[in-house]
Amino acid sequence: MNNPFEHRRPTELEDKAHAEAVRHFAEHLKQFPASREAVERLERDADKIALAANRAATKPTPKENVIQADDGKQWHKSVDLMEDIHFCHRPISYGAEYAVVEHFPAHGTNEILNRGWNAGEVLKAFTQGLRQTLQVWTEDMTAQVKEFLSEKFPGQDLSRIADAFIHKCTTQAVSKKHELTHDHEQNHSRGIRI
Amino acid sequence: METIPQTEAQPNPTPPERLAYSIQEAADMLGVNYFSVYRLIQRGKLKPCRALRGKLLVPRTELLKLLATE
Repeated sequence: MNNPFEHRRPTELEDKAHAEAVRHFAEHLKQFPASREAVERLERDADKIALAANRAATKPTPKENVIQADDGKQWHKSVDLMEDIHFCHRPISYGAEYAVVEHFPAHGTNEILNRGWNAGEVLKAFTQGLRQTLQVWTEDMTAQVKEFLSEKFPGQDLSRIADAFIHKCTTQAVSKKHELTHDHEQNHSRGIRI
Repeated sequence: METIPQTEAQPNPTPPERLAYSIQEAADMLGVNYFSVYRLIQRGKLKPCRALRGKLLVPRTELLKLLATE
């Protein structure tokens, strides 16, 4: 989506409406870019992650990295993808099976999200799901912003503001403060274990 | 002069239980971030409904079902 204010400056009302929307949806503006960047990072590192998982599948796994998933089988954690989401493998007689497994700490359960025989394909299916999630989020955010503006400024055409807000949210970089926090989390949760 | 007997102050009636919540409210109640709620929706673990203008709402029954099964 292009910035709708590239060719015509916003009116005073549009400026006010935009400021109100930014204030009201501040949490979306903070969380969406961080989630988008996490997905982009996984997509960018997909080859490295798949390679690390392939290598891990040829070596013995430390006991603490073996988990039981909801299929009743034992899986070996090889790469941490996101918080509580791991890329895993399971040795079989003729190679390895791969899976993305989500851990639910409250219940101690491990749910398989994607599985298959090709590490790259499994990872791709997982990141495609995340992309679809971002799409659902964008559509919902658009509907929420439009509703907010029509209730706050009845009878006004503020469609440019809704478009500008979504453009800002879906394209802006993560704020420095949030990025630092995120990097800190990454140091703890994203080491590639081989 | 007769005094009018004072009626006892009635306690505030309990507000009716909400039928559905916004994504933000659902995330707050579950103690997770927005992305996690949208992921639950995308994976079919939470079935949302749409309000008139198209925004997603999470029915209370869906939240209770999720908490009972997860």
